[in-house]
Amino acid sequence: MEFRYVGKTFERTDGYAKVTGAAQYVADLKLPRMLHARILRPEFAHARIQSIDTSEAERSEGVVKVVTGKDYPIVFAAAGFYDQSPFAVDKVRHGGEPVAAVIADTLDHATKALPKIKVVYEPLPVLLDPMEAARSKDVLIHERLGEYRHFGSYFPEPGTNIFHHYRLRKGDIEKGFKAADVSVEGEFEFSLSAHSALEPHGAICRWEGKDRVEIWASTQAPFALQQVVADMFGLPHAQVRVHVSYLGGGFGGKSDVTIEPMVACVARAVPGVAVRYICSRKEVMTSTVLGRGMKARARLGARKNGAFTAFQAQLYFSDGAYGDAAANVVTVAGHNCVGPYSIEHCHVDSYGVYTNTPPVGAYRGYGHPEGCFISERLVDMMARKLSLSPLDLRRKNFLSEGRRNSLGETIRDHNGDLFKCLQNVEKELFTRPKPGEDERYLYGRGVASMMKSPKGAPNASSCCQIKFCSDGSVHVNLGGIEMGQGAQQAMRQIAAEALRLPPDRVSVFREVDTQHSPWEWQTVASMFTYRGGNAILKTAEKAIRLLKENAATVLRVLADDLDYDGESVFLKTDPDRKVAVKDLARGYMYENGLTVGEVAEATAGDRIPGYVEPDPKFGMGTAGGTWTFGCQGCELRVDKKTGEVIIDQFISSFDVGRVISPQMIRGQMVGGVVMGIGQTLKEKIEFSEQGKITNATWVRYKMPRIHDIPKKQTVIFVETPEKRGPFGARCVAEHPMVAVAPTILNALYDATGHEFSRVPVLPKDILEVLQ
Amino acid sequence: MSERITLSVNGVRRTVPCTGNERLLDILRDSLDLTGTKEGCGYGACGSCTVVVNGEAVKACTLRGKEKLEGIEVLTIEGLAAPEGNLHPIQQAFLRAGAVQCGFCTPGFIMRLYALYKNNPLATADEIKEALSENLCRCTGYEAIWEAALLAQELLKGTRVT
Repeated sequence: MEFRYVGKTFERTDGYAKVTGAAQYVADLKLPRMLHARILRPEFAHARIQSIDTSEAERSEGVVKVVTGKDYPIVFAAAGFYDQSPFAVDKVRHGGEPVAAVIADTLDHATKALPKIKVVYEPLPVLLDPMEAARSKDVLIHERLGEYRHFGSYFPEPGTNIFHHYRLRKGDIEKGFKAADVSVEGEFEFSLSAHSALEPHGAICRWEGKDRVEIWASTQAPFALQQVVADMFGLPHAQVRVHVSYLGGGFGGKSDVTIEPMVACVARAVPGVAVRYICSRKEVMTSTVLGRGMKARARLGARKNGAFTAFQAQLYFSDGAYGDAAANVVTVAGHNCVGPYSIEHCHVDSYGVYTNTPPVGAYRGYGHPEGCFISERLVDMMARKLSLSPLDLRRKNFLSEGRRNSLGETIRDHNGDLFKCLQNVEKELFTRPKPGEDERYLYGRGVASMMKSPKGAPNASSCCQIKFCSDGSVHVNLGGIEMGQGAQQAMRQIAAEALRLPPDRVSVFREVDTQHSPWEWQTVASMFTYRGGNAILKTAEKAIRLLKENAATVLRVLADDLDYDGESVFLKTDPDRKVAVKDLARGYMYENGLTVGEVAEATAGDRIPGYVEPDPKFGMGTAGGTWTFGCQGCELRVDKKTGEVIIDQFISSFDVGRVISPQMIRGQMVGGVVMGIGQTLKEKIEFSEQGKITNATWVRYKMPRIHDIPKKQTVIFVETPEKRGPFGARCVAEHPMVAVAPTILNALYDATGHEFSRVPVLPKDILEVLQ
Repeated sequence: MSERITLSVNGVRRTVPCTGNERLLDILRDSLDLTGTKEGCGYGACGSCTVVVNGEAVKACTLRGKEKLEGIEVLTIEGLAAPEGNLHPIQQAFLRAGAVQCGFCTPGFIMRLYALYKNNPLATADEIKEALSENLCRCTGYEAIWEAALLAQELLKGTRVT
């Protein structure tokens, strides 16, 4: 198929606004008479609230109102696990939880009133470690876990701190290990880390009386937020309007509902007036969501010839004080820790555990980086034990046509080609000799493979509206959030291709607004290009059909005998008999004004068909539906004196089905790898014994800067068209981050001979093993 | 609001009523509605609020009080493009190299490079890297920003035409 606009690079839709400072983010908005909120956070990570005295704060200059949890004992959930309230009510369960809010005329006045709120706490023992918390029977973070309402896909264990236990039981694990000639096992740890999108979370909320509310929020999921807020106050969903202007990065950290229910409660105290709350950087780290936080044990069995026979793992997640945002991450990590391999016998227990830390939520990769870390370290260990090449061992077990994954889903050729991805990495990495150890450096190479499937609600959809204007140009409207990934641009190119119009004749949505945007479940799971793209194709077909029907009336022929080329609708057998699209857009108007036909506006949606929640007993089922496969490799050097790691080359090869926009997809790849490097070699949220985060600043929490990036990044795409994808494209965005940690740790083994099993690996950890 | 600060912003003299204790960032964003300058951290770690003050790149969250702000000359991202809307070569380079993703760090990076090239048009690769290391980006992995920086230098030197 010849493409006109797909596969080419154009200037981003939002580029001009972003390089001139005109793009507006939530903190840039101002509403008339807007008030400001500041939030009181607790002194303890786990404590009973005995009393809150707000009287002095209420008398403070400029203060309009002080709000506490007693005013709003509401329980909400975005993902179906009802275990949290907008404010702490009787108890605080982590150090960043909201205890009270001050609403004042200025931020300064709100800040000054905050310490005047007097709270008496009764401190309780603090749990930070997920394995310890899972064992604890005396200290319970949620004493009434057994009474919580939840969807049927979650399995809490009342009387413990385990709020969700995902179980995968495929085959017979004992038989699997009996069939194995060798096995390898390990313990793995993935620290909690912070998404750190440059834009802090924020929300502005204004109630119209008590029955209608408007929220401007930094969210990837405006429709989920609409539903949550409406349910909190018993409103019809349609009475909640959520606006999202530009979003300054998300990475999943803005897909979970975090600060917004609290802001909605605060604003309800002053109906008619907007209240603005923007997190400080510290609050983003202590009081929204964190990512990862896993401790695991796992074991892999194989025959002498390298065929894997059994995989067993227990994963414990320190999911923080509330489980709603984390529960599905726990499930997905369980699904995917087996790796992109066909293994007959798999036995996985993945536990979501309450700890006195900020809640864990979606973070680029959603359980896959944690799972992939386990499988890819074990596979390398197995290769050494069997004296096989780690690449050949992977090839022997890769998922491919007709083979089944851990969930029992059968993989087909059109789902992607792991062999080609690995071959690309191999060619780049191993065709030159590895540098030998020198005075200063040790050198190492490593590879890892990955797969990722989306996790969503079974009905998760993207919807599209297309309307033709009277000059033949087109509005394309969807509800996916542009957070930097290039969503608008991808949609514009797909729409241009589908409508056979140059991209400058296609205007795509800017702001998303639940009142005017078509429904989008959430902009998560790297799904938007795939699902939104499909929605565009379906909608374009309908809109073109309307144009054809209008033209059929005018030309007195059958619509099926007509064709469309972007400019006009014409008779297939006689292209000179045609009507211009601009004359068909709003019905056709004859010279005397008589108008016939329909307005050329259409709408349609797309979802992955047949998607279901995993079977409760065996944890299997069609819970993936589409996959993206890939391999990564790197060459690095370790400074023997400082323990620092320098990445000389990082290679990524993914089977993306079809490249829609080369510049944007490379941006996703290169950016994802660097984020993964930060996670592997630098980033870790640290806690005091009392549960206070000790590095909640960008001074102490170290993220990659320009001097930390690989000397060279190589990105090679395989394009095996996905049968259901728009022009063959499949999901890609989170993916480059998934296998970075095991790639680097496998290379670190090659360099140092040490099996690192904890992420991040810091220079001091390396020096320790070198000495 | 008992104080007044007078400063030049994007070539226009502005007098701003204030408490006298504001940061330059507050004056720009809250008093003058120049919201293109972003606040990412509030303590000079991320560089999102970088503007040009008296010819030097400055993090606007770190400059506070009437004493420091009175009489200064500030250039912000809003003042960079030509009045008719034509982009400055650094802005063009960012678009062409694909250095813009979420866009939150973009104004800070652009202003950082503007000050660098104004003062040192022939800045070496090390000097450019040093300047860029003041700013954080979480989306791009810096590769495209680096390419944009090199392209912008060529465009400014005239060794490459748009």
